Amino acid sequence: MTDAASGVDELVLPNELDILERVDSLAGKYGKLAGFDDGPLIEIAIAVVEAVTNAVVHGNDLSDATQVTIRFEWSPGTFKLIVHDEGRGFDLDKVFDPTDPERCMGVSGRGIYIMREVMDSVVFEMGKGAGTTLTLKKAV
Amino acid sequence: MKFKTKMEGDVAVVHISGNLMGGAESNDVRNEIKRLLDDGGRKFIIDLKGVPWINSTGLGTLMAIYTSVQREEGILKLTHVSDRIRSLFMITKLLTIFDTHPTLQEALDSF
Repeated sequence: MTDAASGVDELVLPNELDILERVDSLAGKYGKLAGFDDGPLIEIAIAVVEAVTNAVVHGNDLSDATQVTIRFEWSPGTFKLIVHDEGRGFDLDKVFDPTDPERCMGVSGRGIYIMREVMDSVVFEMGKGAGTTLTLKKAV
Repeated sequence: MKFKTKMEGDVAVVHISGNLMGGAESNDVRNEIKRLLDDGGRKFIIDLKGVPWINSTGLGTLMAIYTSVQREEGILKLTHVSDRIRSLFMITKLLTIFDTHPTLQEALDSF
């Protein structure tokens, strides 16, 4: 039931950057079903792409022996994404502000900042050997 | 993602099509700019007409290109920046870094 105003869609996808276009498309579809307008829809799509990029590139270290599990949940006025990778996680305290004048010209390190800027909630859960789970939420 | 380079006088215009989201193709674009710089090129336009969106990795590619062009005292301009890419520039506070133009002709005329 992926055309209803409320629903869940869970996918287990290969760990490759090509999946970004598919999840981007689904983010737009489910965000629209949840009732988001064009501006917030762009923000949701940007955050979803960053979340999955983070899982593929940093979580699973671009390994084609791994997978990414993605779960969309939506209902009127709310959108939620859960992304799980098989990586060891990272130290959130070491995430820097990429808009810092001394860092702003860097070529990496913007993904988490972007998600935090456009979503209401960005939560990482990291456990030894259990991979990393990232949950994003946004309300209208 | 694919790209092709076309010379407009002394301006190298790199037309990109497909989403810029990292991977080997992004490195190919960086290497193309490096090759053009090594050949003496100093004026560049990246045409994003065929690029609906980029992620932070693609943004990193643009930053790397910008930095390498700046280092050689060259000029980089962007054209056909989609609303979504512009949003990403705004979120990351990089909108003022890039010299953007609505059309290729306007970008060419601005040199």
